[in-house]
Amino acid sequence: MEAESEFKEYYAKNMRGISGWFKARVYTIERWLYAAHRITGILIVLFVLAHFYSTGWHPGLWWDALLGIIVTFHTANGIRLILAELGFAVGKPLLIKKPSQRPVSIEGVQRYVVVFALVLFVVLAAIWAYYALVVQPMMG
Amino acid sequence: MASEEAKEYVLPPEVLEETMKASEELWKPVRKIKFRIYKYNPRKDYAPYWEEHELEVSRGMTVLDALLIIKGEADHSLGLRYSCRMGLCGSCAMMINGKQMLACQTRVLEAAGSGDVVELRPLDNFPVERDLAADFTSFFEKHRAVKPWIIRNDDVELNNPTGPYKQTVDEYARYYQFTDCIKCGACLSACPTAATDYEYLGPQALAQAYRYIVDTRDNGLDVRISVVDTEHGCWRCHFAASCSDVCPRGVDPAQGIQLLKKLLIKRKFGFKPHKPAEALPAKVKAEKKG
Amino acid sequence: MRESTIMFLHYVTAILIVITGLIHLLANNDPVIGATIKANPVLYLGNMAIFLAALLYHAFNGVRVILIEMVPDRCWTKWISWAILIVGIVTYAVGLQVLMVALGFA
Repeated sequence: MEAESEFKEYYAKNMRGISGWFKARVYTIERWLYAAHRITGILIVLFVLAHFYSTGWHPGLWWDALLGIIVTFHTANGIRLILAELGFAVGKPLLIKKPSQRPVSIEGVQRYVVVFALVLFVVLAAIWAYYALVVQPMMG
Repeated sequence: MASEEAKEYVLPPEVLEETMKASEELWKPVRKIKFRIYKYNPRKDYAPYWEEHELEVSRGMTVLDALLIIKGEADHSLGLRYSCRMGLCGSCAMMINGKQMLACQTRVLEAAGSGDVVELRPLDNFPVERDLAADFTSFFEKHRAVKPWIIRNDDVELNNPTGPYKQTVDEYARYYQFTDCIKCGACLSACPTAATDYEYLGPQALAQAYRYIVDTRDNGLDVRISVVDTEHGCWRCHFAASCSDVCPRGVDPAQGIQLLKKLLIKRKFGFKPHKPAEALPAKVKAEKKG
Repeated sequence: MRESTIMFLHYVTAILIVITGLIHLLANNDPVIGATIKANPVLYLGNMAIFLAALLYHAFNGVRVILIEMVPDRCWTKWISWAILIVGIVTYAVGLQVLMVALGFA
């Protein structure tokens, strides 16, 4: 009886739960960035805890390059988020709207900021990969 | 008199014929579309189930039109909420092929795209009332929580008004965009934070809070901060921007929330948004007697 | 503390992490610049102290944000915040001690 009422409540509430964080298919690119930012954040925390526990631990060579992708994505997207959440690069409220007005905050300057963040991510990841795959093995 | 002056305007026959042709084209059935409709009555049913209906649709037919035909001809027990049929009342928001849209503003062929199935569900993250209708109680409670009205301290002026409050066009432009909200619930439903956090105020309430905070006639920043600046307030927004993406009225709640955050941070450094506007002396005064 | 203060510090520490983290990475991975940074132990330790504090604040606050979105109950929210704060302070104290021992300051 108990189980049945819980079952009913689950459908009556109709909450998506944690899967709702990652439901990005039908929305704009910001939703993908949001999901990726959250996943990379959790992965970095796990890495940092391991890095503390056995001091200075890091996964080595190719895994280091993967770690670089995770960290540099979080950095580049984080810069975009700081700009947006402090109210820069989201545009001004409109006085006049077109009949089917698309939001200024995602189709205005924010588009360029997204592209900038992605380019920054690729550049930083490449530099990190260079250090992880070339410089680090030389240092021994 | 009126019959003489008012000329009856008749369309030229060729234009009339063209118009009739276009209208016929618009309402001629073109494709068979399968509708998958979510059916669930939480008071009776053990679990939701799906119902399928096939319908010949025309180019101009909206999802709401199709639903009303289905309700009239195939399934009278179908529960849905609608009112104005023109995107003004915000009653008929639902998940159409997985995205929050107004049923009255979305044409069936537009929603179906290249496929031939249209899947209809009630709004995500809202309790189900019945079938396609969602329960908006907590949504309206959140809206009420941010005090969506003008708050002022000058009781004398409020009780005996001497004129309208001063406001320039620039000041009006700061909040006009957010006044277009029709409370359809699409933004809260699309919000990833609201997928788990039922206490989160949501894009609609926060955008309305911003709308009243930047209104120059308003003096309620300090009252609203205790609601907005909390664990489940505006800081749980991480700018996934889905709310703005699905908004049918171009309100852009994501922008409002980011500007609200900017305002709260600026306030930390001693910035006050504005002084409450003064009343202008009324232009037309009652004539003195005697 | 108001939520806006917490989240403002979240952004400030993010910027601090980018700067101090870069120094930390260069010190350990770049043969040329790393040598100059490591030659100055005060700079290295000072950088590490700031980096550790900023990183722990940012990481644990991020975890707190995710947790209170997952468990939105008001009562739980309070307990989560306190637990995270205590865990964060303890980790910082231990981490700082490990650093000072490793660099021969204590």
